[in-house]
Amino acid sequence: MLSRRLRNGYPKMKRLLSSVTDGKGFDILLVGLPLLFLLAFSGLPLLYNVLMSFQEVDIFSLGRLIRPFVGLDNYRELFAAPEFWPIMWNTVLFVVCSIAGQFTLGLALALFFDTGFRGSSFLRGLFLVSWVMPGLVVGAIWNWILSGDFGVLNYLLTSTGLISENIFWRSDVDYSLWAVVLANIWLGTSFNMILLSVGLAGIPKDLYEASELDGANVLQRFFTITLPMMRSTIGAVVSLGLIFTLQQFDLFAAITSGGPANSSNVAQYWAWELSFRQYDFAKGATVSTLMIITVMIAAVLYVRSTRHEVRI
Amino acid sequence: MTNQPQIELLSVNKHYGGFHALKDINVTIPKGSFVALVGPSGCGKSTLLRSLAGLESISGGEIRITGKAVNDTPPRHRDVAMVFQSYALYPHMSVRDNMSYSMRLRKAPRAEIDAAVADVAAILGLGDYLDRKPNALSGGQRQRVAMGRAIIRNPKVFLFDEPLSNLDAALRVHMRKEIRALHDRIGATSVYVTHDQIEAMTMADHVVVLKSGVVEQQGAPLSLYDTPATKFVAGFIGSPAMNFVGGIVADTGRAVTLDLPGAPSLPLARTMEPRRKVDVGLRPEHLSIETGDAPGIETTATSVESTGSVTYLYCGGSPEIVVVLSERERISQGEPVRLTIAPDKIHLFDPETGAALR
Repeated sequence: MLSRRLRNGYPKMKRLLSSVTDGKGFDILLVGLPLLFLLAFSGLPLLYNVLMSFQEVDIFSLGRLIRPFVGLDNYRELFAAPEFWPIMWNTVLFVVCSIAGQFTLGLALALFFDTGFRGSSFLRGLFLVSWVMPGLVVGAIWNWILSGDFGVLNYLLTSTGLISENIFWRSDVDYSLWAVVLANIWLGTSFNMILLSVGLAGIPKDLYEASELDGANVLQRFFTITLPMMRSTIGAVVSLGLIFTLQQFDLFAAITSGGPANSSNVAQYWAWELSFRQYDFAKGATVSTLMIITVMIAAVLYVRSTRHEVRI
Repeated sequence: MTNQPQIELLSVNKHYGGFHALKDINVTIPKGSFVALVGPSGCGKSTLLRSLAGLESISGGEIRITGKAVNDTPPRHRDVAMVFQSYALYPHMSVRDNMSYSMRLRKAPRAEIDAAVADVAAILGLGDYLDRKPNALSGGQRQRVAMGRAIIRNPKVFLFDEPLSNLDAALRVHMRKEIRALHDRIGATSVYVTHDQIEAMTMADHVVVLKSGVVEQQGAPLSLYDTPATKFVAGFIGSPAMNFVGGIVADTGRAVTLDLPGAPSLPLARTMEPRRKVDVGLRPEHLSIETGDAPGIETTATSVESTGSVTYLYCGGSPEIVVVLSERERISQGEPVRLTIAPDKIHLFDPETGAALR
């Protein structure tokens, strides 16, 4: 009876079954396993996080799933908090300036190494050092560099006459965010450079030759060949940069701890602070949910830009 | 002024590190002519073309375009257009934008661009494809776009770098005629690089044969065929290739004895130095089968191929002699044949230098 219904009544199911018996199900298995993994370790926590942002959570109800539902109260309170908008603005500044710095330096370096001078690939490899270093270690190094009393950066700036007295990068409210931006640019430049180098290497050399014969000078070649041919790479680099920058936590923990007076606090650090310093898990989850939405938009942009690759 | 040379290459040399790629190249190309650079791969023909375009710098000598030395002129100021082997179309631009790229760079007025694109598209039959991207075109269409991009600039010189090598055989023959017709219509000077001697012979007014960076011979296509200057040119021009047999000039100087079984002797149309060792060149299409008593090369047909229009006969063993017969001969495999050739069709070369002996 069942087999008969399978044969006649459920064509979709039948197709699925036969695809497994035909050996075609192997690809479903291959996709299914990582999907299951993602669902268990990323999807569920994500959903749990969203759920928490609509609940009242305290240290005693932490272990439970069903908690008092408070609607948008958490969001309302969060938006009303005096530090909310400054921290959001810090986040925007941090993300935009980090990406702008990483991308510009990365592209400049990629173009520089693309000229293929002697030893260029070796030097390019050395640049990866910053990428393989853990954020906390990078933070520690930058702490020394940025140190107000004996930091190398201050020494450099005073000895070149750019500043007359030491800047206390990490403890001055005007500079603390920029101290982290600086370290983050250093950390992310090599990643940008490598991805952009790959994009550059993918542009056939004869396109440059053809455009040179067509009368294009260096700048025109850059804007009419290099940039448009790199469109998908640039889209991917910027969207990945957005995701990575929004994930950047270690540097804040190591350099400024979000201070002083929230002057260098950003959403991702604030979420952690709310949850694990102030034990206001609901608010922490609410900040995280806002970030999930932002990262999702970035992810869609990333997928779209890789889909629109120029085929040669 | 019409006889003023468009391009002059004066003892052009090119070194890549220790490799001497071009050796003392001297070529003069008259205005409006179609010149083919031909040779086996690695002979330097593409390097020479790229040097003309300015994509490679030369190590010595001088390149002149309309009388002006251009050694230090960047490609974009040389007023030459090039059709690449890969076509090098801009993949992110439509056909229209590909063709109008040079005009847009120099900020030509919109109306002028539209008119020029329409013109060129009409010449090349690309009118229906103007808004397509290159990846939506067939090989032949891409080829036309590459040509259109060159034509629209109305340059002094067209450079072609093996433009037909990515097309299938039938389309290649068709485009061969079309490029030549286009050249005649536009009247600009064309330099065409190919490894295919048939392309060179059928398209060009002037053929330059290169080998290992040296000009072996240059001249009108038929003069290369009739009077090759070296054994290399003799073997390279003509299809199937010329047969080469070792030999020695007879005591009289009026005949040559071949290094073949039975030591056959062929009469010569001219007197040579007696007892001189020579390489004898016999074109397959000049050999014929002797049915009477006249002496010739006694051999056997080891293989017979009939294509309907011509018959290919492979005779003997070492060296094998190829014969092309335009009449249908009823010769079967293993049958003995006697080959003869008109005395004035025999080519003689110095075995040491390869130079033709006249």
